[in-house]
Amino acid sequence: MNNMSPEVALNRISPELRPLLCSVVRNGRVGLDSTNCLRVTDLKTGCTSLTPGPCCDRFKLHIPYAGETLKWDIIFNAQYPELPPDFIFGEDAEFLPEPTELPHLVQWDAGNPECLLQLVKELIQQYHHYQCQRLRESSRLLFEYDSLLEDPNYGRNMEIYAGRKNSWTGEFSARFLLKLPVDFSNIPVYLLKDTALDPGEDVALLSVSFEDAEATQVFPKLYLSPSIEHALGGSSALHIPAFPSGGCLIDYVPQVCQLLTNKVQYVIQGYHKRREYIAAFLSHFGMGVVEYDAEGFTKLTLLLMWKDFCFLVHVDLPLYFPRDQPTLTFQSVYHFTNSGQLYSQVQKSYPYSPRWDGNEMAKRAKAYFKSFIPQFQEGAFANGKL
Amino acid sequence: MAASISGYTFSSVCYHSANSNSDHEGFLLGEVRQEETVSISDTQISSAELLQVVEIHNHDPCAQLFSFYDYAGKINEETLNSILKDRRKNVIGWYRFRRNTQQQMSFREQIIHKQLTQLLGVPDLVFLLFSFISTANSSTHALEYVLFRPNSRYNQRITLTIPNLGNTSQQEYKVSSVPNTSLNYTQVIKEHGAEFFDKDGVMKDIRTIFQVYSALQDKVQAVCGEVEQSERVKEKNQEDVNKLKQQIALRKRKTAEEERMLREAQNADSHSTPEENTEPSEASPLSRITFHTPSAPERPSTSPNPPSYADLLSQDDSLLSSSSPPTSAALLPRPQAVGSPGHPTPSPLGMGLGLGLGLGAGSNPVTTPSTPYLGNGDGSSSDSLDRQAAGQEDDEDDDDDEEDEDEDSSEYENLVSEAAHLPMVSASVLAQGRPAALSPDGDARGSQTT
Repeated sequence: MNNMSPEVALNRISPELRPLLCSVVRNGRVGLDSTNCLRVTDLKTGCTSLTPGPCCDRFKLHIPYAGETLKWDIIFNAQYPELPPDFIFGEDAEFLPEPTELPHLVQWDAGNPECLLQLVKELIQQYHHYQCQRLRESSRLLFEYDSLLEDPNYGRNMEIYAGRKNSWTGEFSARFLLKLPVDFSNIPVYLLKDTALDPGEDVALLSVSFEDAEATQVFPKLYLSPSIEHALGGSSALHIPAFPSGGCLIDYVPQVCQLLTNKVQYVIQGYHKRREYIAAFLSHFGMGVVEYDAEGFTKLTLLLMWKDFCFLVHVDLPLYFPRDQPTLTFQSVYHFTNSGQLYSQVQKSYPYSPRWDGNEMAKRAKAYFKSFIPQFQEGAFANGKL
Repeated sequence: MAASISGYTFSSVCYHSANSNSDHEGFLLGEVRQEETVSISDTQISSAELLQVVEIHNHDPCAQLFSFYDYAGKINEETLNSILKDRRKNVIGWYRFRRNTQQQMSFREQIIHKQLTQLLGVPDLVFLLFSFISTANSSTHALEYVLFRPNSRYNQRITLTIPNLGNTSQQEYKVSSVPNTSLNYTQVIKEHGAEFFDKDGVMKDIRTIFQVYSALQDKVQAVCGEVEQSERVKEKNQEDVNKLKQQIALRKRKTAEEERMLREAQNADSHSTPEENTEPSEASPLSRITFHTPSAPERPSTSPNPPSYADLLSQDDSLLSSSSPPTSAALLPRPQAVGSPGHPTPSPLGMGLGLGLGLGAGSNPVTTPSTPYLGNGDGSSSDSLDRQAAGQEDDEDDDDDEEDEDEDSSEYENLVSEAAHLPMVSASVLAQGRPAALSPDGDARGSQTT
């Protein structure tokens, strides 16, 4: 019953309520973390047990918020599907939103399939206000919050979860979840489309947990949507600096933001540089180009001839080109190794500078080929078999 | 704070709720009262505890959801009044029933509760939440109920007691303090109450029983009077006996004196005169001493044919008229169960003693090895009478009680008084070790059986 797929939930719910739930489970994305849809579990019915199904009209909705998952009970009445639902806010027994702040409740329209989703969004907003109110118990955290609020970059995209006070120690904890205003739109598409999951919106979230009210134990964590993570080179590439003790969010967050932006820029730049490189090679080697990666510009293969000796050169361009040097693989077209492969040699260090432009790189590459080929030829004849 | 609800109100709410095909709500009517308990313990002189008790008398279900509030949960006071009408002042809470949900107040319920508290002016408005949980295969259903007191900061859940619901094997059936406010009930009671209650509101049975009790008391008092009288008679008779004893003794002394003097005179006169006069003179005092008791007929031991009961009765009368003093032993009323016919009366006492005395004077003392000698105070034996009475007693009871009869005859000292009433002498009793004094048993029995 717990990990119910949306379709199962939809089948069990009363037909009149189905459209409302449909929009929630299929399209419902609430809050900053919208990588996952809202989840529905524990479908139950309010009708007598003799009522023939499907007649479920009450369920638990799992809503991600500020790194937590809120579990709210939503109660309809299958016999009266036109009536608005009731809510039980789980453990947040003190959360009582003002109905006037919930326009979709006051003017509930059961005919509008989006009504429930909109109402949930409004409730989340109210919940957010409620949590911000709770921050008032700690002046330090309240200061953090207020300072962030003032910055238009962060203020609007913030979720706060003021955690339960630890009843033993009286410790107060809070978590800030911020959406970083980093522009991922220029990341080349090819980098993003490799992920198996539905990528959704590209987002970077910074979660900062304050384990105590005096901000002595602070744990930041960066969350990237899967495609971005892949585009930036995997989770190993995400190193954010530790939260400085005595520092505050308003200084730290822009720092992280900048770091991320730089990385993104770098990746974007890399793409363009590669493109430039390939373009230059194309123009220099013209007919010698066998094939090249026209999407990501990561690979290039040349077929060259020197003194009647033909050979292939494979160029692999790394992600952080031009910082990282391309790999050249020379391959003989005549000789085989013992294992049946074509004889090849890899060259990773050759005269190279990241400051050269594409043309320069192509020229220098050409010169290098000329210098290296005799050596290669000898090696091929010596080690390979025809 | 404590709360109680009568069983029928509770079941009525459950019935309404379980039969609805959706969530259900309504109002609770009743009253709140303060109970003060004063307890005294060793450590404190007294401590008073104030307890608020909420009593739910009745409920008023709402016909549908959202009947008095809108989508935003705002209550419409006019609609509320039209639903409650004049019951508004009795509202002490409201209830809600929803299936398969948590036992926690929901968002809308909290909003409504706040407004109701204000509108109805009940500071401690209670909220009763029913929840019906069913298992997946509908094999088990549980009805859970929790009474909330949301307006207080702490102790928001109150226990709701339902009198006589629970383990009643160790408690007696309690009469609930929750009154029955049904109109029909009061009407019926009014109509038919006169058959059970008199004009003062006291049950008629109680009065009747009280009358019986009073009658019994009167009778007891009367018996006390009679006992007193008989005691006085006894006292008087005892005095007479003592006087007569004294007279006897006096006369004896006189006679003895006279004889002595006569003897001396005779001796002095002549040694020639014979002494045959002594015998008659000896006999005469005896005869004089002997009280005028009838001779043989009263002594069944000497006559071959003991007198019949009728004879005995006639003797009784004669004896009664005489002033023969009774024996103390025979005067004690025999303890008997109330209502039994054999209740002894003090009247035939004189007869019995007379018999006993007569016998005792003329006969040898009869030894009864199995019973202690309970003779009359003056040395006469009342054994025969005991036996007689015992035998009669035996006849009264079962015949298999013979042995007990022998041993217990000692207890029947007062049976002497009953001898006159009791017609029969049991042969079996006489047969067991009662030597000589009585005539052959078979004859005794045969002649005396009526």
